[in-house]
This record gives sequence, structure tokens and C-alpha cells, in this order.
Amino acid sequence: MIRYVSVLRTAARQQWVYRAELGMRVVQMALFMGVFMALWRTAYGVSGRAELAGYTLPEVVWYLAMTETVVLSSSRIFVEISQAVRAGDLAYVLARPLSYPLYQVSNSLGHSAPRFALNLLVGSVVVGIGMGGVVGSVPGLAAFLVLAALSLVLDALVAVTIGLLAFWLEEVAPVAWIYQKLVFTLGGLFLPLDMFPDWLRRIASALPFQFITYVPARAFVRFETQFVLRAAAGQLAYIAATATLMALLWRRAQRRLVVHGG
Amino acid sequence: MATVIDVQRLCKTFVSRGKRAGLRASIRSLLRPSRRETRAVRDITFSVQEGERVAFIGPNGAGKSTTIKMLVGILYPSSGTAEVLGKVPWQRRRDLAYHIGAVFGQRSQLWYHLPPADTFDLLARVYGLDGATYRRRVAWLVELFGVGPHLEVPVRKLSLGERMRCEIVASLLHSPRILFLDEPTIGLDVVVKQRIRDLILELNESEGVTIFLTSHDAGDIESLCKRAMVINHGEVIYDGRVSTLKRDFIRTKTVSLKLRGAWEGLDGPGVRVLKHTGYGVKLEIDTDAAAIDEVVGRLLARYDVEDINVDNPPMEEIIARIYEAGPLGGNGGAGGR
Repeated sequence: MIRYVSVLRTAARQQWVYRAELGMRVVQMALFMGVFMALWRTAYGVSGRAELAGYTLPEVVWYLAMTETVVLSSSRIFVEISQAVRAGDLAYVLARPLSYPLYQVSNSLGHSAPRFALNLLVGSVVVGIGMGGVVGSVPGLAAFLVLAALSLVLDALVAVTIGLLAFWLEEVAPVAWIYQKLVFTLGGLFLPLDMFPDWLRRIASALPFQFITYVPARAFVRFETQFVLRAAAGQLAYIAATATLMALLWRRAQRRLVVHGG
Repeated sequence: MATVIDVQRLCKTFVSRGKRAGLRASIRSLLRPSRRETRAVRDITFSVQEGERVAFIGPNGAGKSTTIKMLVGILYPSSGTAEVLGKVPWQRRRDLAYHIGAVFGQRSQLWYHLPPADTFDLLARVYGLDGATYRRRVAWLVELFGVGPHLEVPVRKLSLGERMRCEIVASLLHSPRILFLDEPTIGLDVVVKQRIRDLILELNESEGVTIFLTSHDAGDIESLCKRAMVINHGEVIYDGRVSTLKRDFIRTKTVSLKLRGAWEGLDGPGVRVLKHTGYGVKLEIDTDAAAIDEVVGRLLARYDVEDINVDNPPMEEIIARIYEAGPLGGNGGAGGR
């Protein structure tokens, strides 16, 4: 376990080297928050109501800050993996006492961790100023940090699994694209699931995509112990399921491995 | 001496899905994919004793890398068996990784934007080395390989030679008993190549590390290894002492010259002009008939030389000569050890 934590830390350290990229991320996060604050302000103004589906304007904006914090920290590690698979560039990791998929999960989380801290900071500052205060509570923040960590683990497992598909597919980007769009829509990136029409909310609640975005953000804005426990249980179940799928794929992939060069 | 690598009838066939050009062929390949088989390694058998320095040489695509990757446990063979330190590599990959090291000349294990020291620290944790052991080991290797000044410089700012020395250090941190090197000198200039060879030699002599290296550069074997295996089209066509290989099959050197004056020939035995254009001359020296340093001395004395290069004959030529001598030429095979 220690070895994978070290991989994560090394990957995170390497992320800090890309100062310019991190700077761009700060601008991106601030820009998104600015635009969405304006949009929601207009939406609430037009509706003339103080609450939509039980959410006040500051609540829905803080919700968005939290979902974006998670989504914009996602690592896209599948790009690296599928390139490595195609180029046969797995040799060095495999020459070590390491599991390749777990190594990449740690690598992915190492990519995500600094971005997450940065997005959370920038999002909170921009929204805090724009909305004139914080909506969440201390337990809400604690719940968010735990659930967001679990959602990034789940997201990393999905990304590595998609990357491993490169052993069978020539191009994995379309698979990743579909996954990402499902997280954006059914995962409730822009709207809390509670705002969905009834039929769609039922579908979204039955699917795993909510565990990436909706669940941690909702826990921050509206802390309820019951909700947090159920959410964490759901995340852990999907983490176990995805990890199993990843391990099975890797077992089959190893026999297909072709390491080129030399 | 103990046998550390034992390979029996090892084969590896890659299956790739072929597709011809054109829409019709595309549709057909969807319905019934045509499979193309590449036999990268065919029926290789050999063993290596502890402390040996073995060169595995052959042209590009001969199956050298594939063999090394099976011995490290990365690739599964199609048939045959192998044992490295008593373990079947592809079944016990992670176990075996504690006792062997690998250097892949065309790849990098160092984190590109971080200094090498960070990768070393990470590897120490990966192998679970305790602090004191690790610090002693790193200090010794850094001293031996002379990479002290590069430890804190981001890898992307190092030259290829500096980086390669760091790559080798990274593969030695856990004190492996066998070091596999896949084309460790590829792309390096002559001086750096020689430096790397010297270091590998010193490592073998001071720690008794078994060296198994692949190369398509005959220079690597001459100055480093006692035993050579020549592999071509996935088969071992020579296995024996490097000195025998040299005596029987590498009897020539080529000397390329760039002169400031006209070429007027050179007397003496063993010198043959291969090519001659303007001020450029390419000579083949038969090293049985004339010592190379003596010929070069005479050339420098007689001509105003702008540039001179002494090379081994290309791998393809050595292989052609081995084939000429018949199957397992010379006193190759098991008798060569």
C-alpha cells in the first residue's frame, strides 16, 4: 500500500511543476463560476421565486462550485494508458514489483489531488465573494471531502478501466467521451438531481454517475447524516465493482500484451 | 557456479489482426478478421551461470527484446519454459522483480519533470528498502556512476548520456542479482558508450551481478562480454566465446577517412579499398593480416587526415559469415561455454 501512496505523491509533485497549466486551471475555474453565477441569477430572477426544487440561489451556485471542483480534477489518465498500450510502453512499470492497474490508479489520483485543492480554493473564493457568503457547514465540508475523495477514486478506476480497453479497441477516446457526458448529464453536474423531472430523476438515481458529482456536492450544500452514509455505501459498492472489472480486464490484457521495440 | 537463467525451447508468436486497404476489405475484416502471425522467437534454448556477462546480439527485429521481456516476466511465451533464479518469470513477475533489474534503452523510467533523486526515493519505497540501506546504496551508486551533479536537476534537462547513467542507477537500487539491459547504449556517442560499458563491467566485477545485455552494436560485446549469443530471425545461430566469434567472424574493421589531399593508395598486407570518392576513402582492414593501430598509424603518417572513423563490420555481415560457416558455426552451441 505504501508503494502506491508514494506513486501518488510523486505524481502530485510532478503536477506542481506545470505552473502555467495550473494557472490556466485557476482562470478556467474562476471563469466557469462567474458565468454560471450570472446564468443562475438570471434564472432565479425570471422565475421570481426564492427557491427552485428546494434550492436557493446561493445553494445551487455552491452546489455547482463543488461538482466542478470534482469534475475539473479528473485526470484523463486513459489517454496516457492507451498510448502506452499502443506503443508497448509498459515495460518499466512491469519490471517492478507493482500492479500495473493499481500503479495507474495511484498515478491518476496524484494528477487529481493538486488540481482538486486548487479548484476547491478558487471556486470557494469566487463563489464566496459573488454570493456574499458560504452556504455549507463544517460537517457538510467534512462530508464533501470524504465523498469527493471516494468519487475521485471511482473516477480513476473508471479511467484506468477505459484505458485498458485499448488492448481491444483501436481508440478509447469515444468511450471516455460517452462516460464523461453521462457524468455531466445524469451525474448532475449543472443541476442537482432534485431539479430533474420526476422520471429522469428516477433513472439518474438508479445509475452510478450521481456518485461522481451529485453526491459530494449535495452533501456539502445540505448535510444529512443518512444521505451521506447511503451515498458513501453506494460509492464503495461501485468502487468494488469497478475494481473487479478492472482486475478482470487486466488479467485478460496481460496475455495480449505486445511490447514493441528493440 | 549456479545456473541463474535456464531457457528451454522458448517461443513467442505475436498475432496481429491484418487488414487490407479498401472498404470491401474493411468490411470483410470485420466479419472474418485475417490473422497475421509473427514468429518473433523460435525455439531458443540456453542457460546462464551466476556472474556471467552475456551479450545477446542481432539485427533489429531479431527477437532480442522479446526474449528479454519474457525473462523479466512482462511477456507470456507461446510455448517453452524459462526459469530465472528458479522462478518462472511470467508466473512470478512481482516476486522476481525484487531480485532482478532491467534497463530499457529506448524507454525511460525516470519522472520526466522531476529530478532523478525523486524517482530514486520512489523506487526505494516501491522495493521497501529501509532508510539506512537505501542511503548507503544510493551513495555508492551515485559515486560509481558519477551522477552526483545530476541528482537534483529535472530529468528533461539532462543529456541522453547523463540520463542513461541515472536510468541504470535506478535499476540497481534494490541490489538485483541479474541485470538485464536492452540496448543500453542506443543513441549514445562513442565516448559515453564506452563509459557505460566500463561501469557495467565494474558492477559485474565488484558485486558479481550477472549481466545479460542485448545489442545490435558489435562494439558492446567486444569490450564487455566474454560470451555472446547471436540471434537472427528468432533463432540462436551462435553461442560461444566472444574471442572465438571475433577470431572466426569479425576479422575485419572498416576505416573511413576524409583527406585534405588525394588518395594515393597504401601499401602493405590486409588493406582493401572498398570505396573511393574524391577525398573520401573507405578501407577494409583484415585484422589477421595487419594490426588496426599499425594501419591507422601509417595512414596518419602519410596523409593529411581531416576525419577518421574505425568501425566494426555491420551485424548483418557478421551474421552472413556465421551462416556461411554452417549451422551453429565455429565451435558455437553448448561447446562454446
